[in-house]
Amino acid sequence: MLNVKRIESGYGAMQVLWQPSIDVKQGTITSLLGPNGVGKSTLLHTIFGSIEPWGGEVYYDGENVTRVPTHKKVEMGIALVPEGKHLFPNMTVYENLSMGAYRKRALADKEESLELVYALFPRLKERTKQLAGSMSGGEQQMVTISRALMTRPKLIMLDEPSQGLAPKLVGEVFDTIQKMRDEIGLTILLIEQNSDASLEAADFVYVMHEGIIKAQGTPDQIKGSTEIREAYLGI
Amino acid sequence: MNQVAKYLPILPVLLAYAILFALGHTVSGTWQLVATLLFYCALGQAFNIFLGMTGYVDFGYVAFMGMGTYGMALAITKLAHVPELGAVVIVIGFALALLMATLLSLAVGAVALRLRGAYFAIATIGVNEGFRFLIEGARIWNGAEGMIFTAQLNEILGTERASRLMTYWADVMVLVIAVLAAAVTLFYMRNRVGYALTALREDEDAAKVMGINVTKYKIIAFITSACFAGLVGAASWALKTPYVFPPEVFEIHYTVEAIIIVMLGGAGTLLGPLVGGLIYGISKYYLSIFLPGLQLLVFAPVIIVIIIMFPEGVVGMLRQRTRNTVLGRFIV
Repeated sequence: MLNVKRIESGYGAMQVLWQPSIDVKQGTITSLLGPNGVGKSTLLHTIFGSIEPWGGEVYYDGENVTRVPTHKKVEMGIALVPEGKHLFPNMTVYENLSMGAYRKRALADKEESLELVYALFPRLKERTKQLAGSMSGGEQQMVTISRALMTRPKLIMLDEPSQGLAPKLVGEVFDTIQKMRDEIGLTILLIEQNSDASLEAADFVYVMHEGIIKAQGTPDQIKGSTEIREAYLGI
Repeated sequence: MNQVAKYLPILPVLLAYAILFALGHTVSGTWQLVATLLFYCALGQAFNIFLGMTGYVDFGYVAFMGMGTYGMALAITKLAHVPELGAVVIVIGFALALLMATLLSLAVGAVALRLRGAYFAIATIGVNEGFRFLIEGARIWNGAEGMIFTAQLNEILGTERASRLMTYWADVMVLVIAVLAAAVTLFYMRNRVGYALTALREDEDAAKVMGINVTKYKIIAFITSACFAGLVGAASWALKTPYVFPPEVFEIHYTVEAIIIVMLGGAGTLLGPLVGGLIYGISKYYLSIFLPGLQLLVFAPVIIVIIIMFPEGVVGMLRQRTRNTVLGRFIV
């Protein structure tokens, strides 16, 4: 569904991505592992277009979308849940979710999307009128993911969704991610530093280091390789 | 919210301007004050569409007023000898003011709006000064000598009508522009443009993620705001005082005043620029009478206190307090 080919990008004069290539198959959870500062977020933002690619190509559903602007990518069904909670703290949960249905295509399906989101996160349905900023970290993460779902994506890219959450909540987030794959049929590209939980949930794993893909395989293959685990994942 | 209820908050705005207008008419000797207040309210209302709704600070804003002033000046000086046109020249002047403000805002916006936050603000300071020196240095539109067109205005309208225009009708036009700017603000607030602008003001990255074309909406707000600045310049500067000198119409002081008015009243609110304009205009008027020369010394601490007490501006504070009340529906 998503094919990234020898992509390059960076900030200013500093190159961060040195031609990594990844493939994300439809209906799977693909996880991108690696420590801080190896270019995982940069890769997501380059795919999404919020960072301009210097070279290489991005294909989505077989179509070259390397230079397609971000708002058009959202329209095509690509969603990004950025790192940290980019919520509108002074808006209610409902208002935050409504903003997710901004594009006309998403607006047409708004009611249906709301039902889907409330089924996934029943807690949000009880709190539609609460200000998003007054919620706990875990709940805010739910709103952020839900808002991305409101854009009616086919592919959703999550940038460290478990960051800063209590261990119990980390489990919940990963359960939700698996539900999104199994019940909604979404394709998921996931960035994580939490290798254990990620290896549990993912169907396929890429290990990234210094802007290149160092290893790839099924979670079992990655877990089975002492070399990869020790060198790049620290587990 | 039904269609009518959506636009009800325009009522307090209309009421306030009506009272202001009636006051200037009935109490003798107040028209000068009212005219000043109208100017500041219109300036705030126009600037709010960009500063208030996007959260971007444009330090070169006065340049659009300058463009409007030149637009009107050019129409009057070039068309004065065509007797068939008559007062239509003024209409052409406004059209030219709009066109020139739009063109400059497109040029500035296309470059500067790629920058964010403080970088945008810094870039725009340069635009203002650069443009002024371009006009002076390249001797465009008479360069540093400026243009004086009282004679042409008299030729077009006759001395009596021209003088009535300068002392009365120009101010009424400013009033109309202020009301129009408020109406456009409310229209934006209640439609997709406003939702997009609110999203990008609060969190530009989140707005992008939701599929909002942030550049497009920033440019829409920028051009709209610039157009109203052009109209204010054409009416309040070119028609009220029929001359234009580069150092005056590119004076950064007016941009700073516009920022103060918007922040004081409440950035991004409908009533904010009106309230801010009144507070600022009245204080400035009376301070310059009672404490001539010292007004800034008194005014600066007052502004600091207000900003500390109500960081969201006077209207922003009122809106918080009246949330979920009947009154709250009108304070937007």
